[in-house]
Amino acid sequence: MIRFKNVTKKFGDITALSNVSFEVDKGEFVFITGPSGAGKTTALKLILREILPDEGKIIFDGMDVCEASQKEIPGIRRKIGVVFQDFKVLSERTLRENVEVALAVAGIPQTEWTPRVDKILELVGLLKRAELFPSQLSGGELERVSLARALVVNPKLILADEPTGNLDWDTADEIMELFEKINKEGKTIIMATHNREIIAKLKKRVIKLSEGKIVGNHEHSS
Amino acid sequence: MNIHLKTALDYIRRTPFQALSAIFVLTITFFVATILSVLVYSSGKIIRHFETRPQVIAFLKDEATPETIVALQGRLGGDSRVKDVKYVSKEEALAIYKEATSDNPLLSELVSPSIFPASLEFSLVDLSFAEIVIGEMRAEAIVDQVGFTANLGSETALGDVVSKLRTITFYLRVGGGVLVGVLAATSFLILVVIIGMRMASRRGEVEILDLIGATPGFIRSPIIIEALIYALVGVLAGWLLTLISVLYLTPSVVNYFGEIPVLPKDTLAFLALFGIILAGEIIVGVTLALLGSMLAVSRVRRAR
Repeated sequence: MIRFKNVTKKFGDITALSNVSFEVDKGEFVFITGPSGAGKTTALKLILREILPDEGKIIFDGMDVCEASQKEIPGIRRKIGVVFQDFKVLSERTLRENVEVALAVAGIPQTEWTPRVDKILELVGLLKRAELFPSQLSGGELERVSLARALVVNPKLILADEPTGNLDWDTADEIMELFEKINKEGKTIIMATHNREIIAKLKKRVIKLSEGKIVGNHEHSS
Repeated sequence: MNIHLKTALDYIRRTPFQALSAIFVLTITFFVATILSVLVYSSGKIIRHFETRPQVIAFLKDEATPETIVALQGRLGGDSRVKDVKYVSKEEALAIYKEATSDNPLLSELVSPSIFPASLEFSLVDLSFAEIVIGEMRAEAIVDQVGFTANLGSETALGDVVSKLRTITFYLRVGGGVLVGVLAATSFLILVVIIGMRMASRRGEVEILDLIGATPGFIRSPIIIEALIYALVGVLAGWLLTLISVLYLTPSVVNYFGEIPVLPKDTLAFLALFGIILAGEIIVGVTLALLGSMLAVSRVRRAR
């Protein structure tokens, strides 16, 4: 599904990733972990083609995303659902509209929107709040909106950048149960987190980064 | 409702004063443009009226036979310096007189067709031919007298009138064109500023849309639609204001100009004139909106 091949990324004198290589197979749930500044978010940004590596290749779905033209980038991003730590919801649109935007971007016919949005909102437990605005929702609910928006277009890969970073333990636990459920349905998930409790609870493969280098890549053992 | 249209309407609703200022400036621009278009049409009609009205009237002798009249009419018809040759019989001349004196029936009762001579009326392609043609007509055996734009005095007077009208029309077109150009440029700049502000205030939204895979076209669409709404509302409001004003003033204008057709007389032609102006203004408005929004979007994207 995705392959990092000797990827290096520098920001000035700071090396965010250094000669990083790893693979994630279809249907896998992989944690990228490490302390702040280890390069977790950089790795996700590289997959999304927000930034380009200085060296190496990133193959996603059979395509080198580093070689993609500007015109091809939206197409790559539409195959990826992203759940952001800061939610990145559209503050002036209702919860339903936030999810609908993803469908519009993906070019899904408008007639299909309502059933798809209802189904996904029910999955994340927000159907009754569909007409509320983001300012009327809690942090956990906003994270669910972000997840619903990522899922509604049925992406091949889900990237989650510290999705529980701003949440209390109980809410984080509920969100992780949702991710696990989605993964069991066959979705590939790459999650950047430094939350050890979550990693310990889900028992998935962990790629550990430190100062831009992979210092561990193994199935979680309790 | 289409998501881009809905987004554009949301933007307008959230910033009503920006929207109103854009629409107000565009309305003024197209109000002036429509008035100018009507004035250009009317001045053209006035010039055409003076240029094509019968300028020379050859009054025929009573002894002129139909054959000689037809022969002279035929010669005039084939003359490249002459156009719109028309024969007016004694009876037709009386009818014209009666119509002209309809407000005083006593005057028309006192005359009979016999006192009016038949005539051949025609226009000249160019007023510079007047002297020669009039001389030739005077030499014709069946022509008694030759009248030349009697109500305007002389060929110099008519030439002056047409020349003055041409000058006025020229200045009207140039001056009006400059005024409309300045107003259009102002509208364009205001559109660029307002759309630029919109793009700047949407930066966060644009970033999110970009990350979830929106194409540049998807991101631009609501902005372009918003600019198109401003332009179309401005065009329609300006055009409608002029239409109402012209409809209100038409009786006075028609009364003042009399037989000169400064405005189309039948409703269909009137609507056609305003329809053509509206179509032209929609094209200009849409062009302004597209160029303004594209420029604003590209400037903001470059700034990113």
